[in-house]
Amino acid sequence: MAKILVVDDSSTVRDEVAGFLRRNGLDVDTANDGRDGLAKLRANPGVKLVVSDVNMPNMDGLTMVEKIRGELGNSAVNVIMLTTESSPAMKERGKAAGVKGWIVKPFRGDAVLETFRKLAG
Amino acid sequence: MIGERAKESLERVFSGAARTRLTVGDGDACEIAGLPAGASPPQRRVVVLTIASMRFRLLLLLHFDDDAATRDYYAADAARPLADAFMEVANLCCGAMNQQLVEHFPDLGMSTPYALGSECVAYLAALKPAWSASYGVTIDGAVRIGATLCLCTSAPLDFVAGEIATADAGGELELF
Repeated sequence: MAKILVVDDSSTVRDEVAGFLRRNGLDVDTANDGRDGLAKLRANPGVKLVVSDVNMPNMDGLTMVEKIRGELGNSAVNVIMLTTESSPAMKERGKAAGVKGWIVKPFRGDAVLETFRKLAG
Repeated sequence: MIGERAKESLERVFSGAARTRLTVGDGDACEIAGLPAGASPPQRRVVVLTIASMRFRLLLLLHFDDDAATRDYYAADAARPLADAFMEVANLCCGAMNQQLVEHFPDLGMSTPYALGSECVAYLAALKPAWSASYGVTIDGAVRIGATLCLCTSAPLDFVAGEIATADAGGELELF
């Protein structure tokens, strides 16, 4: 069972982030958008860390987080947003939804690897 | 509807974002040249992103061709189409602009990137933009792409923004 779920509509980002984490020994699954991410988390409630984009088709990342906490009743999973969005209002919405942290792209794996390990442990 | 300082600021913000996000390698050169008014970049494919606030909507169009130089530069290491790789590059470039502009307009939001044919560029006029400008962008002397900024305003717009300070911006985890 994967411990980390990477959610992004860009295959480039999914490959980059998931590839980096796998090369560093972490167990990773991916999802194409918020709707796909929600379905995968419903099927695998053992996921410890979700790393998600904000702007995605079908369901955006923050709506997905609201549904993880609400519909799924999953308050345990840690969620980190990985996004080009940096507005205070967007971060506040994330905080209110139960987001644990925020990374403004580009992804620099070495800067976050150890924190990701702890959050996925 | 848009002041001269705002036009210069948008050009400065775009230049900073292009130099840091349209280049793959740290030392890669990025030359940006304005095109004559009304001229469009010649490339046949376009990635479009929007930055929107209550006062304006800014479209960033990045024009590219699926040629060997562009493919080698942006998608050499990956087994995916150039368009997918270039859309993420465009997303990062627009994100860097968004990051700079949000300091002046806290209500900003960004779209996802989407790809169009260059035939669509002619229809930008239908948006009745307050200002638009196009540029030729040359990366490392070999990769030729284009850019168009198209600004629609719903209120007078004037502000002064500096250039993005560093190529190292972004990537840090902010824990809540």
